[in-house]
Order: sequence, then C-alpha cells, then structure tokens
Amino acid sequence: MFDRRLLKNFDYPLLLITLAICCYGLIVLSSATQGLSSDPLFFVRKQATWIGFGVVAILLAISIDYVNFYRWSLYFYALNLLSLGLVLFFGRDMGGARWLDLIFFDFQPSELAKLIVIITLARLLADCRERVNRFWSVWPFFLHIVPVILLIMLQPDLGTALVFVIIFFAMLYMAGIPVGHLAIIVAAGIAALPLFWLQLMDYQKMRLLVFLNPGMDPLGYGYQLRQSIIAIGSGGISGKGLYEGTQARLQFLPEQHTDFIFSVLGEEFGMLGAVLLLVLYFCLIYRILKIGAFAKDSFSALVCTGVASMITFQILVNVGMAIGIMPVTGLPLPFMSYGGSSMLTNMLAIGVILNMGMRRQKIQF
Amino acid sequence: MRFFISLVLIIFILLGTRLAYLQVIRHETYWMQAEENRLRILPITAPRGEIYDRNGRKIVTNRPGFTVSLVDLGDGYSDAMIAELAGLLEMEKEEIRDRIRAQFFRRWLPIRLKIDVPMEIVAVIAERRMELPGVLIEVQPIRNYLHGNFASHILGYLGEGTVADWVEEHWQQYGYYYRAGELVGQAGLELAWEPFLRGKDGGIQVEINSTGQAVAKFEGVDPQPGHDVHLTIDLPLQLAAEQALNETVERLQAEGNDDAGEAAVVILDPQSGRILAMASLPAFDPNTFRRDFPRLREDRRRPLVNKAIEGHFPLGSTFKMVTAFAALEEGVVSHDELVRCAGVITRYGATKACFRRRAHGAINIVEAIAKSCNIFFYEMGLRVGIDNLARYSRDFGFGSPVGLQDIFGERRGIVASRELKRELLNEPWFPAETMDASIGQGFQSSTILQLANYIAMIANGGIHYRPYLVEKIVNHQGETVKLAAPEILRYVEARPSTWESIRQGMIAAALPGGTAARLAALPVSIAGKTGTAQVVGGDSPTPLPPHHLFAAYAPVEQPEIALAVFIKHGGTEGAPAVRVAQQILEHYFKTAPAAEAVAEGEGEETF
Repeated sequence: MFDRRLLKNFDYPLLLITLAICCYGLIVLSSATQGLSSDPLFFVRKQATWIGFGVVAILLAISIDYVNFYRWSLYFYALNLLSLGLVLFFGRDMGGARWLDLIFFDFQPSELAKLIVIITLARLLADCRERVNRFWSVWPFFLHIVPVILLIMLQPDLGTALVFVIIFFAMLYMAGIPVGHLAIIVAAGIAALPLFWLQLMDYQKMRLLVFLNPGMDPLGYGYQLRQSIIAIGSGGISGKGLYEGTQARLQFLPEQHTDFIFSVLGEEFGMLGAVLLLVLYFCLIYRILKIGAFAKDSFSALVCTGVASMITFQILVNVGMAIGIMPVTGLPLPFMSYGGSSMLTNMLAIGVILNMGMRRQKIQF
Repeated sequence: MRFFISLVLIIFILLGTRLAYLQVIRHETYWMQAEENRLRILPITAPRGEIYDRNGRKIVTNRPGFTVSLVDLGDGYSDAMIAELAGLLEMEKEEIRDRIRAQFFRRWLPIRLKIDVPMEIVAVIAERRMELPGVLIEVQPIRNYLHGNFASHILGYLGEGTVADWVEEHWQQYGYYYRAGELVGQAGLELAWEPFLRGKDGGIQVEINSTGQAVAKFEGVDPQPGHDVHLTIDLPLQLAAEQALNETVERLQAEGNDDAGEAAVVILDPQSGRILAMASLPAFDPNTFRRDFPRLREDRRRPLVNKAIEGHFPLGSTFKMVTAFAALEEGVVSHDELVRCAGVITRYGATKACFRRRAHGAINIVEAIAKSCNIFFYEMGLRVGIDNLARYSRDFGFGSPVGLQDIFGERRGIVASRELKRELLNEPWFPAETMDASIGQGFQSSTILQLANYIAMIANGGIHYRPYLVEKIVNHQGETVKLAAPEILRYVEARPSTWESIRQGMIAAALPGGTAARLAALPVSIAGKTGTAQVVGGDSPTPLPPHHLFAAYAPVEQPEIALAVFIKHGGTEGAPAVRVAQQILEHYFKTAPAAEAVAEGEGEETF
C-alpha cells in the first residue's frame, strides 16, 4: 500500500515546521500552566500525548491515497452532521463551546468539522468546476455549508462558525467563482442579519454583543484583554525569559494555557519570540499553499486553500485578540493552545496536505 | 495562490506591526504596569431582594456593613500580618490561609475574609493601614431581619455552607449557577427563592497602590438588586401567633412541664390556600445565626426544624371529623342515631375508654364531635373499616404533602392502612388498630399544615387549595415578575348534610358544654375541635405529657381563617392549645381578652 517512491515528493519542511511549532507550544505551555496543578508537568504531559496522537494521525492520513477522501466525502459529511447534532443533545457545556464525552476523552466535534467541511466542500466544488461561472450554480455550495454552520451556531460557538464562513469564501474564490458573485452573496448575508438576530435567545444576543464589543463585559473579556496587552507589552523585545513572566506567574491572566497562550509567549520571549512564531506560521502556510499550487487536481488544490485559510484565520483572530485588535473569541491558536480536539484536527489536516503533496505526480517507474 | 500568499503576508505584517508597537514603543508603560501588577476587579455585591408581608410591611431588608478583604499584591502574605488579622477579626489563622488558598486561581479578585465587621474593629484596621498592606475595607449590604426571630422558619437564613445537589439543580432551573463559598440562602424562603432574591453582582476594574487602596478606576458594571418577595403572611397575625405560642409554652415550663417547648401554629385562608401565619417553636434569630449555630445545633428541641411542616405527629381527636365524614358518607350512621357511651368499651380483646372514663350516655354524631366521645368514634371506625378510613384520610390531604412549594421540606405524614402495616411490620391488620386510627392515634401521623389544610377543607366545603406563602415577586423596576393565584388541587364531594353535621359538632365544641368552651366568649362564631395525642414510648422514666392540639375555623358563616395549633407535650391541663387559639382569634377579630372562663369538659384523653 505504501510505496517508498512516494517519499520523493514528501514535504519534509512542512512536517518539521509543524513539529517545531508543537514543541514551541509545549515550552510556552509549561510556563503557562505553572501552579495550575500540583503536578507541574500535568498539562505538558497531556499536550505531549496529544501531539503523539497527532503524529499517528499524520501517519494514518498519509498512508491512504487521498483519492479515498474524495470518495468517502459523503460519509464524512453525514458523520459531521451526526456528531454536531449529538453534541447539542448530549454535549457537556464547559463555558461556551461544547464537548462530547467519548469516555477516553472529551471531544469537540466542531474542531474536526472544520477539516471535514474542507474535504467535502472541495469535492463538491471540484465536481461542479465547469458551472461555477453561472451565478445560480452557487446555491448547492450554500446548501452544503449552511446546516453545519447552523448546528455550530446553536451550541452556540460563533467564533468557530465564523471560521467556516472564511473557509467557505476562500475555497469559493479558489474554485474560480467570480468575485462579483461573492460580493453579492456577502451583501445578501449582511442584509439577512436582522432576521437572524430575531431568532436568537437573549443570552445568545448578549454573547454576540459582547463578542462585538468586549467593553460590555469589563469584568470578563474586558479585564482579560487589558491584562493580555500588559503582559505582551511588558515583554519588550527580548522578553522576560522563560518562567519569568510576572503576569503569567501570578495567575492574573485567565485561560492563559488555552485562549491566551500567545500572551504568555509575548511576555516571556518578547517580540523576538513572537515574531519567530509568526515566521514559523508563515512558512507553514506558505508550504501548504505551495503544495496546493503544484497539485495535480483541483480537489487537492481546494483542500490546501481551505486548510491554509482555516489556520490563517485562527492565527489572525487568536493573536489579534491577545494584542487587542480582534474581539475576544474562544478560538485556539493552532498547534499552540492546550487542547486535544484542536491539536488532532490540525495534525490530521497537515497529514492530508502532506498526502496530497507526495502524491502530486504519477509515480515514476 | 499568489493572491493567498500575499494576503497571508499582509495579515502577518499587520500582526507584527502591532506587536512592535506594544513591545517596543509602548514597552515602558506596560512594563511599569506589569511590575506593579495593580489591575484588579473589585466586585460589588448586589443587595438582596426585600421581603414584605401581605400588606407591604417590610420584614427583611438590607443594611450597610463593613467587609474586610485581602487584595493580592503579588508578594504573598506575611505570617505576622495573618496573625494580626486573625486576632482582629476573631478568626483562626488557618481559616484565613484556607480562604487565600481557595482563591489562588482567581487572584485578581479580593479575598473576602469577614462580612459585617464591627465599627470599632474597622477603625483599628484603618489606623494600621500601613502595617496591613492589601487589607481592604468595603461597605456591603448585610441582610437585616427586622423582627429578629419572627417567622424564622419561613424566612430561613443565609450562609456560606455548601448546598445539597438538588438545591443546586433547583436554582439552575431559574438561571442561578451556584459556586461553592457564595453567601446563599440555607433554609426557608431565602433558600427556595435564592435565584429571585439574589441580584446580579457588579464590579469595577481598579488600579491599586502599594497598600492595596484603589487609586484609579476603569470601566465596571453596576450591581442589579434582587427581586422583592411579597408574602401572604400577615405580619401582626404572625406576631400574635408567635407571642401566644411563646407565652403559653413559657407558662407551661413555669408550671413545671419540662417537656414543653416545641409548638407550631398554621393559619390558612380557607378560600385561597394563602398561609396567613406559620410559626414554629423554638425559633432562632437569622441575624445572629452564624454566632448562635453551635447552640442551636445542640438544642434537643431542634430549633432549626420547622415543626409546622417538617415534623409529623398524631393528631388525636382533631382527626375525628375524618371518621365522622367517612361514617356519614358511607351511610353507616345517620345524623340522629344514638350510640351508647358507658365510658369504657371492650372490643376485639382491647379495652378502651373515654376521657377520665366519663360516660357520655346516649350520644349522636354532633354531640360526639362536640364532646369528643371516643366510644362513638371507635364504633364508627369499626363500621366503615380501615380501608375506607384510609381512603377518606387521603381525600383530606393526609399521607402526602399538601403541596406547599414556596419553602421546602414538607413531610408526607402517615395514614394508617393495611398496606402500611404490612410494609412496616409485615403483620396483618387488627380491628383494635382501626379503633385507634379512628381517633387519630396509632399509626396516624400528620403535619400541622396538613391539619390546617383539612380544617380549611371542612370550612370551604371540600376544596383543597395549594397552600402558598409567596404572593408575588416584584423586580427592582417595580414590575411584577411572578404573581401567585389560588390553585385547587383536589375537590372532595359530599352530601350537604354531612358537612352540616360535622360543622354543627365543631360549632358545639366551641360553645358551653363543648371541649373548647372557653372560646364561647368570643364575639364571632367558631367551629373547632380539640385533640390530645398520647405519646407512646419515650425514654423518660415518667410518661411524657400528651401533645395538645386545637384546630378551628371562623367565622362559621363566612370562614376567613382556618387555624391549627400544636403544643408538643403540652398536656391537657389548662388546654394550652385552645388558649393559644383564643389569643390568636382575639387578635384577629380585634376583641379584648375574654375573662378567664372556667370551662366544663375541658380536655379529653384518648384511651
């Protein structure tokens, strides 16, 4: 099944960059979780386990020809709706997003849903390639993504829902849908917002308002934001050094090992450390897009676009939040934030991309 | 792809620029702020909703009090300071350390050490501000129960103790998610209505200086006061009931009855189920609950138990109307049938007697109720049989909670039945036990609320209204958010003549010649029934005095109140329960205390 010759096109830099970011994340996490548990390495060990599982996920993802992902697309889609539906009924609410209890660990289906939507939407777009120029041929893509977004909105997890919107438009653009058509869709979407607003429960409206304006929640998000900016700003160019961050050390930063891990990094490693991470991320996204550019079929090109837009958007929102230019959402920083579902999904996504990269040419005999 | 790569590059440059701005240009400012680490949140406690009586008289409110807290300055706390604080606040050092530990992961919030600290101590702390860095004095609302131990079992009290899981779930239904350590209602209305009474705490972001004083304020949220609760309770009537109970119990104790001390009164509006008064002795003062708790917990009279709903007792002869009702409705006796009472009866191998073995002679059902003739009701009980008697008992609300939901803890009581005995003792039923059951003894056991509810059903012709305490909930803007309405839970149909005979018997009981003849002096017509419940067992060498009960409604023509009085181990001497009822009725019908009337046939005994 696995042919050695496939390794000829294997993108080692992409794998190495991914693992480098993961290791960087572990180091920062070890600082962010100091004192959170009686065992100082509790969170680090768990996160390392997730990385381990992630590597296994990568190996699994590259061992099967990605054509199978294309073939199984329909099943993936059904599984996606099923798991997102289940979480609404059996999910555990742990502050915002919801988890499914899979006995051995709590799984967040909305994380995996991102990757599944990328694959299923890529197939749909690839299949309809000839017709994308006509305006009304856009509607099947809509029908495809709207149920998923609605299910996630119901959780309610507006941040994650927004990731899907970004992925959707990036892939539609990549598929060659005229920009004018996309603009009309966006305009129609904005026009429909008031209708959507009326359907929301009071507490959902409140969350949305706070999401748009954290100043409305000064004792929660507002406070976090102020502390995060102080942490990053105080780090300066070279940072205070690992385990030396006073903000992080004093536990004044809520959620610093998940949503606000970048604040800890900014404080302890300074601008040099933060920029290093951004450079690593840029290289990662660049490699993904490069694989997309050299892809042998439009399906894999679309998947690469989807994954790149997913990762970029999450970085933009998470880092943007930590430095005060984006609203506060619960979006994790890829490969850095503590959490199994997000780590596994992102690793699996990298595996799919690596798979597409190494099978981009017919095997040379 | 080129488009995407350019877009990503632009995004990263944007992020990098902002980073450079924060970490290079503004570095100095933020570095200072981080070094000081002076940004904190000061929560502002929302005042709890107030509690009013049915006419808007204030019962529970809030007053300002001083709270002493610790603000985390980032350098830990010296042993000397903790020791000094422990001394000033009369706390254990370990207690203070526990509180610091409990808040380790929420260090941006002040640690509340003690609420309602006396003025003198606050003055001392303020003087030594420099030696006590990080000690913060805040003014916060403190619960104020205006009438001390008035209605304490209805109102409940506040505490920081953990609550039961089912309480937490109940609160969640109304949108309040409890967190351990919060000051919450621990009993009564304060517990049951916690989600409504508690407001929403506010808070403010502040910058503090090196001693822990707030020097700059940023954005914050105003606290939202809790909802006000308006009760069905009538404050003067409740006070009168408590006073009557207290006086009577004190008199009994002065007369040498060491077993007296527990008692309860329930007063219902028979046309709606509104609880006009509910008193339980001994009571406690919710204002000083925390300090009194060790004593309250040790008291063998269990002051924390609401005797009106959380205890069940044999009703004695107050139960006899159920037997009368069953006999009349089953048609086993006519209104004028005479049963001969010789003072003593031997049936099924058991010899049972009337009070002081006095023979009532030939007696009909009305006279039997008025004079509380045991022999008559033994006969009736045997005629209807235990199964019918149990069924009619349940019809009158016995054996299951009568439906009070506004405070928790209502007991179901026990209805004597074949099934019960088999379940309890795995023994068959004996007819002699039917005789006990028919005069409210033996297995029969009820709450005082059940007794009041059954009297109310007699008064209103068989309607079982759900008893309730909370009339309405009003939010801070003055809007009514919840309004109670009378709710009929059950309707017991009967021939008008049945009701008539029972009422005639109860009216005669409160007239000269009846068991509660002392009430004849009142200017309104009263229908009532006394009861004496013999207490079996007990570990004292001398037999315990029997419980004394009285239940009545008035005025007969247009019933306004139904009341039940229970004096645990009150004895029959001086008919204490009737005296309490008399005092309450005198208050209610605004009359001068009647002259001490020596009544005939006072009290009775049931074996």
